[in-house]
Amino acid sequence: MNIINDYIYYFGAFSLIFIGLYIVLVKKNLIKVIIGLSILDTGINLFLITVGYKKGGTAPIFSEPGLQASEMVDPVPQAMVLTAIVIGVAVLALALSLSVRLYKHYGTLNLRKIKELKW
Amino acid sequence: MVNPVLLIIIPLGLALLIPLFGFISVKILKYIPFLALFSNLIISLKLLPEVYREVIHVSIGGFIPPFGINLVAGPLGIMFTTLIALVGFLVSVYATGYIKEGSEEKYHILYLLLLTGATGVVLTGDIFNLFVFYEILCISSYSLVAYFGDKAGIESAVKYLIQGALGSSFILIGIGFLYGLFGTLNMADIAANISSAGTLPVFIPLVFLITGFGVEAAIFPLNSWLPDAHSSAPSSISAILSGLAIEIGLYAIVRIVFTVYDASGMFSFFLLLGVITLVIGELCAFSQENIKRMLAFSSIGQIGLITFAIFIGSAEGITGGLFQLVGHSFGKALLFLTAGYMIYETGSTNISSFEGMGKKLPYTSLAFTVGAFSLIGLPPFMGFPGKFLIVKAALTEQDIIINMLIAIILIASIIEAAYFFKVVQVIYFKGESGSMSRKRKTAPLSVLIPVFIFAGLIIFTGIYPKLLAEVLEQPALELLHRVDYIKSVIP
Repeated sequence: MNIINDYIYYFGAFSLIFIGLYIVLVKKNLIKVIIGLSILDTGINLFLITVGYKKGGTAPIFSEPGLQASEMVDPVPQAMVLTAIVIGVAVLALALSLSVRLYKHYGTLNLRKIKELKW
Repeated sequence: MVNPVLLIIIPLGLALLIPLFGFISVKILKYIPFLALFSNLIISLKLLPEVYREVIHVSIGGFIPPFGINLVAGPLGIMFTTLIALVGFLVSVYATGYIKEGSEEKYHILYLLLLTGATGVVLTGDIFNLFVFYEILCISSYSLVAYFGDKAGIESAVKYLIQGALGSSFILIGIGFLYGLFGTLNMADIAANISSAGTLPVFIPLVFLITGFGVEAAIFPLNSWLPDAHSSAPSSISAILSGLAIEIGLYAIVRIVFTVYDASGMFSFFLLLGVITLVIGELCAFSQENIKRMLAFSSIGQIGLITFAIFIGSAEGITGGLFQLVGHSFGKALLFLTAGYMIYETGSTNISSFEGMGKKLPYTSLAFTVGAFSLIGLPPFMGFPGKFLIVKAALTEQDIIINMLIAIILIASIIEAAYFFKVVQVIYFKGESGSMSRKRKTAPLSVLIPVFIFAGLIIFTGIYPKLLAEVLEQPALELLHRVDYIKSVIP
């Protein structure tokens, strides 16, 4: 049980990543694919946070005199996640606005039916 | 000394100021990219001799590496920024006449952001910063592909976006693994410690990173977005995507495999991938009726050839690969720009509609022919020394597998010649020659100037290949001597 306790966040992060990948690869509806991308993003963000996480760690600010650096969580992954969230939001917004235009052109969001372009 | 950070700040700052300039006058907007890239070109050319003597480091915010974000302006980086600025500058001249419909303002903002992203990727020394610039490049290219908002554009942008977003996610997972292993994001710092970790733990992030960047680099199984996106985008954007964006993806892969990982065990894998990409690209290009799709598939073929050349792994091989990369940038940009103007004139993308173009648009047709012959590899154009250097590097390896692969590459080059000759034949020798109804027409200056500069560069470098080959030797050595790179960042 110890392994599960120690790595529970990694399990959570990678299950989210695989759920997201599954949705992107299998679903036919564009909106569902975009939701899959969003879940994938969330999983990655959780993974990044987990990399720098420490049980019982505090914020990395030397607010009290006795505080040691080893008692703090790693701030770098948090900064990375902040950036990654912003990028993810930009991609999602662009994807949703493109799907609006796609619906206007084709009248459907089913990706199997939208295939005018081929190799 | 000019600070290399200006190469990023000037286009980025001007891109964000464009809406403000729009209040003054809408007419000046189209000259802003032109201005930003011209200043980038000047700065890059000024930095070029300086970085050949000594690599320039900039620590953003004054944090000394491995902390904080650092820029490494080495020979390879500055060579790429020069290429980006030059091609970007000439294409922006073309765009002043070409982009008339839609929201011009947004086009120019996104165009500058795309090139900022590309410049940032090649200059940065921090792997997460590389991801951020790469995303700037990707997001602006998704939206530029859909710029006209027509059926094909939107569909291909959606395809490109989904595949690109998946690729970016993989890159981020790879970066997360690397940070977990080494506790640093600085590429030189990771590279210095990479041998201390076990093989499997460092191999997993490598796979994620290569898959992620491979999407943008259009390496074989990951390139199904490319023909759609490159053929549906506005022609000026196709030129940038084909001439610069995929090379940036390849740069990221090369930087990670050579400098960060020193993974010489992976080279044969990439050699094989390169040849497969080349053969598939050329075979698909051969059967296309649509000129822009044909050029897009030809880009896949060329990127395969460049990948093959770089991963031969010798100094001659990398020099040849970089030579071919520059040649492909010029040649493909020239082809897309001229083809774009011919499509604008005829209103059709079909190759058969180009009949009689040789009489109707003599200068544009001539430039198109120069680009096509250069990509085939005929002397005295730039493609010939490029392919010659690659074949020479491959033959000096004395490796039976590489020799067999180079035979396949030469066969694929014949296919390439076949489809380019087909187009040139349609342009010059088809259609009724007696009819005077087709009047001779001269293209506007915004088309002729960039097209002729590209053609001139191709012919000049084809006649004096040594000038460029000497410039490219140092970047090749930078890739091979990773210890020097690490030492220069972390003394």
